[in-house]
Amino acid sequence: MREAIKLGFFLLITCALVGLGVSYTNALTAPIIAESEKLVQEQGLMEVYSDAEEIKDETEKYLSSEDSVLKQVNVAYKAGKPVGVIYTVESKGYGGSIKTLVGFDIVSCTITNIKILSHTETPGLGAQATEPWFAERFQGKSATADLEVVKQTPQDGNEVQAITAATVTSKAVTLGINEARNHFQVNFIEAF
Amino acid sequence: MNYWKEFSKGLLSDNPVLVMLLGMCSVLAVSTSVINALGMGFAATFVLVMANIVISSIRKIVPSNIRIPVYIVVIAGFVTIIELIMKAYVPDLYTSLGIFIPLIVVNCIILGRAEAFASKNGIIASLFDGLGMGLGYTIALCALAFFREVIGAGKLMGISLFGANFQPALIMILPPGAFITLGCMLAFLNKMQEKKAS
Repeated sequence: MREAIKLGFFLLITCALVGLGVSYTNALTAPIIAESEKLVQEQGLMEVYSDAEEIKDETEKYLSSEDSVLKQVNVAYKAGKPVGVIYTVESKGYGGSIKTLVGFDIVSCTITNIKILSHTETPGLGAQATEPWFAERFQGKSATADLEVVKQTPQDGNEVQAITAATVTSKAVTLGINEARNHFQVNFIEAF
Repeated sequence: MNYWKEFSKGLLSDNPVLVMLLGMCSVLAVSTSVINALGMGFAATFVLVMANIVISSIRKIVPSNIRIPVYIVVIAGFVTIIELIMKAYVPDLYTSLGIFIPLIVVNCIILGRAEAFASKNGIIASLFDGLGMGLGYTIALCALAFFREVIGAGKLMGISLFGANFQPALIMILPPGAFITLGCMLAFLNKMQEKKAS
């Protein structure tokens, strides 16, 4: 009995000391981590919709909490008026969920840009979705009709060419974008 | 006590990856690019050195029947510290290494060195042992990553080497490539050793 208490006490002291060290490091790094995360997110938003003076998170206004694909809605303002919308969407790819930012312009009703935030696709195949040339395939597409993934060079305005040997990934990204597009058309184009 | 011997044994003759085949999980997973390998190697070396120092300095007061939980708590503490530091200062590297940073806690090289070396030797010897083992791990990881990145992606440190027409051998970036490369490296090293012995 004595022995058990002694051992337990020793473990307690060890854990307390280690915990102290960890919480001290946490106190030092927490503000830096928060700042860099905020910066990364802001930069991502600006990359997808560059022509904005202010970007506001209006997720609560537009989305119900159980939406499966749409995760976040950010509205871009210029001179006090909404000019663009940036969605964070999450869709299921080949190796797990793919988180994508997609921006729409209200005036021209087109897709401005997309950006893959995180993914677990196969390196060298689906992971090519993060390359700028894949985002370029979406830029300027009209937001009035659903996009369709094709394997050849696109003929129609609403067709997007898939990444070679990564059709599942291309379709997943496009599915997320289509969900956002639908929401954008209903809430921002037809409502005004 | 010969410190140089403690340090250099981890580099080749007792290399944790190439000779003892420890910590394979992280080695196979993060050796897809040299940058990842360097980051992982650095993080593991830091944990290895710090854990070795602490464990060696408390080796005389730790009751032997609870030494493993004590070692694990110490190792986990240092892993969390390096995790927070990497998240704060090198967020890109932190994201690309992902789950393998927290998994350093269960990397058998670190617990192995704590149990086999630091718990029986002095502080300075343990420091050099950790440094040597960590560097040996990093070197093996980088060598593996070098072949995989060059052949599998046509890149080195993220810079394209062969121009746009190069068709990389994707299998090298995928998990089988890690096994194939590691197998070739081990075969080569064994052959060298055989030659030396004869």
